[in-house]
Formats: sequence, C-alpha cells, structure tokens
Amino acid sequence: MATAGAAGSSGRTYSFKVVLLGEGCVGKTSLVLRYCENKFNDKHITTLQASFLTKKLNITGKRVNLAIWDTAGQERFHALGPIYYRDSNGAILVYDVTDEDSFQKVKNWVKELRKMLGNEICLCIVGNKIDLDKDRNVSVEDAESYAESVGAKHYHTSAKLNKGIEELFLDLCKRMMETAQAEERAKGNGASQSASSRRGVQIVDDEPQATPAGGCCSTG
Amino acid sequence: MMSQRRGIHVDQSELLCKKGCGFYGNTAWQGLCSKCWREVNQREKQRQIQEDWALAERLQREEEEAYASRHQRAQSQPAITPFNKFEERKTKVKSSKVNTVTKFFTPSIKTPPKKDAGPFDTQSTPSPSSSASRQSTLDSDRAAREFIDFLKPVKSGREIFKQCRAFTESMVYKRDMGADELSESVQDFYQNLSERLQSQFKGSSELVEKVMDEVEKYMMTRLYTEVFCPETTDDEKKDLAIQKRIRDLHWVTIAMLCVPVDEEIPEVSDSVVKAITDIIEMDSKQVPKDKLACITRCSKHIFNAIKVSKKEAASADDFLPTLIYIVLKANPPRLQSNIQYITRFCNPSRLMTGEDGYYFTNLCCAVAFIEKLDGQSLNMSSEEFELYMSGQTSPHWPQPTAASSSSGTAALTQVHNSLDLLTGLGERQERVIEKARQLESDLIDWTDEVEQEVQSALESFPLETQNTTANTASGTASASLSAIDSENIENEQLPPPLQPQMFAG
Repeated sequence: MATAGAAGSSGRTYSFKVVLLGEGCVGKTSLVLRYCENKFNDKHITTLQASFLTKKLNITGKRVNLAIWDTAGQERFHALGPIYYRDSNGAILVYDVTDEDSFQKVKNWVKELRKMLGNEICLCIVGNKIDLDKDRNVSVEDAESYAESVGAKHYHTSAKLNKGIEELFLDLCKRMMETAQAEERAKGNGASQSASSRRGVQIVDDEPQATPAGGCCSTG
Repeated sequence: MMSQRRGIHVDQSELLCKKGCGFYGNTAWQGLCSKCWREVNQREKQRQIQEDWALAERLQREEEEAYASRHQRAQSQPAITPFNKFEERKTKVKSSKVNTVTKFFTPSIKTPPKKDAGPFDTQSTPSPSSSASRQSTLDSDRAAREFIDFLKPVKSGREIFKQCRAFTESMVYKRDMGADELSESVQDFYQNLSERLQSQFKGSSELVEKVMDEVEKYMMTRLYTEVFCPETTDDEKKDLAIQKRIRDLHWVTIAMLCVPVDEEIPEVSDSVVKAITDIIEMDSKQVPKDKLACITRCSKHIFNAIKVSKKEAASADDFLPTLIYIVLKANPPRLQSNIQYITRFCNPSRLMTGEDGYYFTNLCCAVAFIEKLDGQSLNMSSEEFELYMSGQTSPHWPQPTAASSSSGTAALTQVHNSLDLLTGLGERQERVIEKARQLESDLIDWTDEVEQEVQSALESFPLETQNTTANTASGTASASLSAIDSENIENEQLPPPLQPQMFAG
C-alpha cells in the first residue's frame, strides 16, 4: 500500500488511518458498517467482520484510501488505546446521546489523544443514536461547546436512520488532507514525505541517485 | 605515451565499439559500447556465478570429507567423543555459513578481493549457533534465485538487486549493532528504495508494492538468523516471561474473558483449532510478511467463529477478547521475538494502514493485555485472582451457563476416555512384564540345561589328551589343532589331513 503522498504529483493517493474510539454499545460498529456497507442490523452483511474496513474515496480529484480501525470499547481494554491510535491521522470519538457516561469517556479519550499525539490528529466527536432523541441525556450545547474548546468537530449521527454519517467521514477526510498538505508545505517542496511515514525528518537521500537508464554500466 | 598520442590525434575508429557494431565505445567498458558491454559483462558474470557455485560445492564436499575423517578419529578416542562431536558440529555449521557467504559475495567481479576476505571475516565474528543453518542456507539460496527471477522483467531490476545485495552484505558486518539501529537502517533502506521506485515507475504504486514485497522477502530470508531474536536484546527473556505468564493463566475460561464464541458448535471449535494452528505456525516463517499472513489467517478464523456463534459480523469488541483467548490457548512459541522482529523489519506501510497491520496491532494489544492482566480485568476480586494464580483453587466448571457446563461434560468424557486408554495401556504393560519374566526364567533354565548336558557329555567321554597327541600322524600340525581333533575317537580311522602344497604359476 502506498503511503500517503508517495505517488506522483498529479494523481497522488492519500492513505489515512482512522481509529474509532468510544465505550462499548455506543454504536461504533453500526456506524462504520452503515458507512462502508450501507447496512444496519442486517443479516446479509457481506463482510466477515466489521472491525477493519476500508473505503476508497475521490475528493476534489484526489484519491483517498481510508482504513477504519475499530477498537475494543470495554473498559478493561482502555489501557491498550495507545497501541491502536499510534500513527493514525484521524480519530472518531463516539458517544451515545442517551448515555451521559459515554460522553465522559469521550472526554477522557480527547485528553489522552491530545497529550499523546498533539494537534497532528484530526478529532471528530460524534453523538450517535439521535433517533432516540427523546431519551437524550447529553445536551447539544454542552457537547458542541466542549468539542470547540478542544479543537474538535462535533457531529450528530444515526446509524439506524443513516443520518449524518456521509458528512462525518467526508468532512474528516477533507480535514486530514489539509493537515497532510500543511505538513508537506512545512517540510518544504513536499518531497514525498507524509504524516504516515515512519521517520518524520529524513528527506535527503544520502546515497547517490541511481542513473535512470542502464545504471549497471556506470559501475560495472 | 599512449594517452599523449590520444590527446593529439584521435582516430574515429578508435572511438567506435570494438565489436564493430557501429556505436561508440567507452574505455571504461573495455572499448565496447554500452550494449555490447552489457552482453559481454553478463556472460562473464554468469560464468563467474557458475564457477562460484562449483567452488562452493567443492568446498562443501571437502568439508564433509574432512568431517568424516575427523569423525572417525574422534571415535578412536572415546573419552572425549561427545565434546569432539559438538565441536565438529560447530565447525560444520560455520563452514556451511562460509559457503553461503562465498556464494553471495563472489559474483561481483568488480571487487575480487572480497572473495578472499569474505570467509575470513565471517569466521572471525562469532557465528550464531543454529542447527537450522544449513536449512537457512538453502532457503536464502532459493530466495535469491526467486528474487532474481522476479526482477528479470522489471525495469532496472539489476540495479535493485545490486543495491539489495550490497545492503544485505553490509548488514552482516553490522551484527554487533543494537537491534534498534539495525531496524533503523533496514527501514531507511526500505524508504529510500521505495521512494526511488516511486519516481522511477511514475506512480504505479502496485508495482512498487510488489517489488518492495520481494525486496523484503529476499533480504529478510538472508538476514533472518542474524536479526531474529539477536543476542543484543532481551527478546529471549521476554519470550520466556510471556510463555510462563500464559502457562500460569491456564485457568482462564471463555466466560471470564466474555468471549462470544460457542465451542459447542462443531464449525466454531474447528475454527478455533485452525486459529490456534495458524498463530503457532507464525514462528516457522522467516519473512515478516509471511508471519503477518499467519496472523491474518488466524484472525479470519476467529471472525468466522464469532460470526457462526453470534450470527452477525464481528466487531472489535468481540474480536479482541477472542484473540486473547486464542493466544492463551495456543501459547505461541517465541511470541515476543516474533512481534519485535515484525515491528523492526516489516515494510512500514503494511504495518501502518493495511489489514495485516490491524490484526498485528490487535495481537500486540492481546499480548499487552495478557502481561497486565489482573483480577479486575476478569471481573473478579484480586484475592480470587491470586488464589487461581497460585494454583490453590481452580474455577468451578459445571454451574453457570449451558455452554460452559456442556463444555465441561465434554471435557469430562474426554478425561474418561483418556483414563480408559491409560488403564488399558497399564494392563498391557503388566502382561509384557510378565512375559518378560517368563522369558528370563526360561533363559536361566535353558543355560542350566545346556550346562548339564555338556557335563554329562564330558563324563561319558573322558578326555585322553596324552594318547591322542601321540597317535596323530602328522607332526607338522600344531598341538592345539591336534588336541581338537583328538576329541573324536573315530578320527584315527580317517586319512591324515591334506597338506598345503605349492604350485608354481
């Protein structure tokens, strides 16, 4: 798989890793299944699993490969978070609008992510299950003001009714592309480095560039 | 003198290719044009490679002969045989390594001194004692051949091969470096090469990916013994620690981990067994990509087990606990070493975003979870946890859910079956022992019988040695020979024994 920004100048392909974080039962899996398969609670889901899904997008002429990593939401696996979100470009933090507790969990995740990854990661806070709006326990204002205060975007979705999900992922992709481009510019001339490259700095080739044609002769 | 002349007057014909193909030649290519030079060079290299193979084979034969003769000598000195044998094996391992090195070092004709330097250098550095060394030699030979075959149709494949080989050679000398530095330099190499390929193939990322896969395969097969679980790290210690940890956690049940898998269903238990087999198989692979493929296969089996049990697509909430359960059941060999090896030497793009990378990350999570596991993460008090860990109590099997109780009865029937088998085995063993005793007494009786018979025979035919010696006709026969003959009294009626006679011609 080509790393982000490693392709030629015109038809470059971005590859982004997005982690799904949030308590169990908030609907992480439903969200991503709805997005990638457009199915909800369906017996005919074609994929064997819903924990690693990919989606190919075309945003303003740029190709984007999205890899969505689901994570285990149970509390006892919380400590494993850093292993999952390492090197990810974006994080989707899901809570259940009817469950105040799950929103608190999101806040914990935000704190941790900002501490570990800084501003390089694009955060989306997602209030899922708005079809159950009558049982809402997290107020819209609270959630949105909190999101703004931590530099994240807030979305309302319903996997059941297929609401707000396309927008969420499209928006996130655009933001990740901007971040990647900004990073490239910061590195100067965008020498095919990207957020997902293993070592951040190394741009210059130490070894002499191979002669384009018949290189064997020059050294033979 | 020559250069002076050339400086003044250069004849057009002197500039042309010596083969007369009409193109210009170059002194660096022995006066040939690029095309002809490549042809000639290729042929020469091919010949060189063949010679090297022959040389390597000859060395191998000599080594084996030497080994055989030394082995014989060792047998004539029984007191130190075991140690000698061990030493022999060591030298053999070394020598086979040397052969590989010769094979791979020599084909480059531009650096002839290396041919001699190669073997000595490797011999002076401590060679890792590995009984699988010979096997790995074969493997890396095959890997090199496959790599060359793969690169043949690829544009500038020769260049790629050269770079990889040069890098791999240089890695052999860096063996004493720390594992992180080794990893760093391999990763740098991957990155540089893939960037160069990207610009070369103008964005055909699929081809780049394929080439990089082959590069990884070739390089890591060659370097496996050096960089897997190197002595500079404490990987081995960690391996043993996690192994012991998993063994101590043998009492953890499906219910404690909340694994959504129902092993009563045959298809599910089948998938579980396959998953366990795959995760164990990981250790036998050499290339990081192949190891990852094992993890992915294992994960797919787990997903299948979950899907059959739950009748819906598995989420990460289901997957991770099941993977933990599989790891606990399998206790895969050298788990930490394998994880470290993949992290250090796998092509980073695969680990970062690919599906394989996701499953690998989950495995890392599973291991981290197992290491930190406590009572709380299994929904029990820490006292209970301690009791289980110390082996003072074991969890109650038969009560809670239908699944666990029936799995308990399944286990019970299995235990009964094993017990039956064992009793059967015991009976048969007793019978064998009885028979053996009988045989022993029979043997004793038989020897007694034989002795008695001999005695009685001796008594009925007393020896008359004095007499018979005097009676034997030929004085030339030795005394002992006549003594034997004398036992038979009828001998006297026989003609004298034939005498050896010389015939001329």
